[in-house]
Amino acid sequence: MALGRKLKRAVYTLLLAFGLLLWLAALLLFSRVAEDSDDFARLQVWILIVNSIGVAVLVTLIGVHLTRLLRELRRHVPGSRLKLRMITLLVSLAVTPLVIVYLFSVAFINRGIDNWFDVDVQRGLEDALTLSQIALDVEKRNRLEELERLAARLDGVSPASAAAELAAFRRDSGADALALFGANGRPVAASAEPGTGAAPLSEEAMLQLAEGDAYVSLEPLTGGAFQIIAAVNVAGAPGEARILEARFPVESEVSGLANSVQQTADQYSRLDYLRGGLKASFTLTLSLVLLISVLASVYGAFASARRLVRPIQQLMQGTRAVARGDFDTRLPVPARDEIGFLINSFNDMTQRLAEAREQARSSEQKVEGERRRLEVILSSLSTGVVALEPDMRIRTANAAAGMILNIDLEAHVGESLVDLAESRPLLAQFLTVAAGKLAEGKSEWREQIVLRGDVGRRVLMCSCTSLPGEDDSPNGYVVVFDDITTLLQAQRDAAWGEVARRLAHEIKNPLTPIQLSAERLRRRYLTAEDANLDLLDRATSTIIQQVEEMKQMVNAFSQYARTPNIELSRFDLNDLISEVTELYRSPENPVTIKLSFDANLPQIEADAGRMRQVFHNLMRNALEAMERQADARVDISTRYVRRGDTEAVEIKVADNGPGFSEDIIHQAFDPYVTGKVKGTGLGLAIVKKLVEEHGGQIGAANREHRGAEISILLPITSEASGPAGLHGGENRRERA
Amino acid sequence: MLLLGAAPRSIAQDIDPGRFDVRSAEATLENGVYYLNAWLELRLPPEAREALHSGVPLTIRLDVELVHDRRWWVDADVAELTWRYELDYHALTERYVVTNLNTRDRRSFSTLFAALNELGRIERLALIDAVLLQPNRRYNVRLRVVLDMERLPGPLSLLAFWRRDFSIASEWYQWRLDES
Repeated sequence: MALGRKLKRAVYTLLLAFGLLLWLAALLLFSRVAEDSDDFARLQVWILIVNSIGVAVLVTLIGVHLTRLLRELRRHVPGSRLKLRMITLLVSLAVTPLVIVYLFSVAFINRGIDNWFDVDVQRGLEDALTLSQIALDVEKRNRLEELERLAARLDGVSPASAAAELAAFRRDSGADALALFGANGRPVAASAEPGTGAAPLSEEAMLQLAEGDAYVSLEPLTGGAFQIIAAVNVAGAPGEARILEARFPVESEVSGLANSVQQTADQYSRLDYLRGGLKASFTLTLSLVLLISVLASVYGAFASARRLVRPIQQLMQGTRAVARGDFDTRLPVPARDEIGFLINSFNDMTQRLAEAREQARSSEQKVEGERRRLEVILSSLSTGVVALEPDMRIRTANAAAGMILNIDLEAHVGESLVDLAESRPLLAQFLTVAAGKLAEGKSEWREQIVLRGDVGRRVLMCSCTSLPGEDDSPNGYVVVFDDITTLLQAQRDAAWGEVARRLAHEIKNPLTPIQLSAERLRRRYLTAEDANLDLLDRATSTIIQQVEEMKQMVNAFSQYARTPNIELSRFDLNDLISEVTELYRSPENPVTIKLSFDANLPQIEADAGRMRQVFHNLMRNALEAMERQADARVDISTRYVRRGDTEAVEIKVADNGPGFSEDIIHQAFDPYVTGKVKGTGLGLAIVKKLVEEHGGQIGAANREHRGAEISILLPITSEASGPAGLHGGENRRERA
Repeated sequence: MLLLGAAPRSIAQDIDPGRFDVRSAEATLENGVYYLNAWLELRLPPEAREALHSGVPLTIRLDVELVHDRRWWVDADVAELTWRYELDYHALTERYVVTNLNTRDRRSFSTLFAALNELGRIERLALIDAVLLQPNRRYNVRLRVVLDMERLPGPLSLLAFWRRDFSIASEWYQWRLDES
């Protein structure tokens, strides 16, 4: 990049130097024209070519810049209008004076050149020339007359005396050379200054003489001297002689003056002739200089406008980037001027903005991290937590809350709890209590709520706290609730277990001596003959029988209290139920047992003995409920069900007895809760305990018409009865 | 464009556009030296005549080239000769002065026709010494006559550059150099 920029700069410098050279060349051309030098003639074509190349280069550069500018204008590139305005201003500032100077110079030069060729000067020179010609003409005529007189004297003279005559004449007249030619052009006699020979006559002279006329002409010699050449025909010349020729010098003073006049007139007329060309050259030169200057200034305007506008453009782009939210924009500082200062300030600003944004982002991340951590904590809680808006919309809720209320609250964040409760009875009951409390204006409360669901009831310990808002009004609520059903149950179970254990211990101990004593009494006194034997017999029998009963009761208690290890095995539940129920089909038991089994029921993994006890207890419970009932009937059904990932067996044991009374139905599985006359009240409690030991669920309900129905849900495999079994998280606490 | 407008046109009525032509030329061998004899037709274009009468001396150049004629190769120049003559009008004596710029020999004529006629008669110009030529080779002589623009004074030369009037030259006249 830096190399490229350096190269570019070097190229520009070179171009600039080239342009300056062109300028100098143009000036040189200008001066050469003024000097009318011969060098100019040689150089002018080159100068023209070089300048034309310069013009072409400048025009190309300007064209490129202009195209770029137009494209920028069409695309509304920021800064392009400013650039256009700057270029227009700069160009008009530079070009206007140039054009004025140009026009003035052209007019001045043309008028100046015209002034040189003043009419009076021209006429004066022409007159001087004419005067000189007249003066020389007189001289010519005199010389010719002298020669004609000599020719007359030569008539009839011998060649030898003719030579003497010629020599005499030459001495007298001061002629340079004299010669007498024959008809064949050969000299017959001659006389000449030493060193000068008699040159032969020119053709035109010969022609003129042949026509019988005399010939005289003024011949310019090198060095500005003149010579008069005169020739005449000689009629009676000696021998073959025909022509007499003489060359006379013109007096040096006269010839010098005449030459001066001639040269001045010549020069003047030449200049006059060249006037048009001169003016054209000047105009051309000036035009070229103007063209190059204008183009250079236009190009300069483009270049400087670009240099000036570029930082502004960058600033605009930077501002736009900042407006878009890109704070990482840093602009190159062009120079230590005002714009540089501005750009420095801009860079500072963006840096600070970027830092501020970075801080905001990091604190946001921190908050987000906190929130996430809180979410994790909430989600791992078994306590349900629901945050509500003041209008009962869900703000957040954890998984446990959903599980307790049997609805995926996390999926309904933002929705109103009131709307959600419409089709969900558990939530509706919960909401009734909560909304009632809130309607009373209590935002902080703690309450135990009993919910009645499909399978048994649920007891929730629920507390609510209002979230602090900006003013006094609450900014929503946090409701925290725990499902304490199993906890309560466990407490109750534990209490009963303790009671049973102590009862067994405390009661069993005195019972044995009582029984033994009664038996001893019988043996001792029954053999003796006494009138009251009958009474004794009855009394002791009663004692023994009652003690036996009590023992059984105590055994049942101890059975409830103890917890032997479960021995798992795979078996067919249907077979087991058939086996158990078969024992109850007897003539003295007038009960109809109807079994409806699911044929596709898989084998379950459970403790077979305990299961057997479960069904014994249930059967016994049903039969006891229907004692002395003629149409007693027990329906037992099994069904394969799937609850999420868990496979289970649903077993329903229904009778057509009196059913549960309403006041005990919810505590049907508590020990000593019984509606029957007979029984320990532990039957269903033991059933529940066994079912729950297998990870199952049990529920009691009254049938629609008559009778009670116990429904059991038992997982098929022991794994399913583990922590994630049918009870979900609830069981864990119970087992621990 | 400026130049076209400024061009002199006063004698443009003259119909003769001017013409330079080599009518005939030959080289004769005398005493081991080739001499050139030629007859040129020289008629000045009106602009040149006007310039001449305005005191601008004209230069007429005679270019002679002796070329080795090679059958399978580009011809090679053996000798290039140039003679320059200056034609000047002497306003005082009203005579046309022809100066041989090579020899500084001057002659004057009362008419332009006579001067050009004299200029067009080339007699016994020494061309080359026969010793310098190889006997078995073929040589050609080429000749042309040009109104030399480079010798015109500055602004006029510029004018001539733009206008074709002054750029007058004959075609090349070429013939075999015989050893006779």
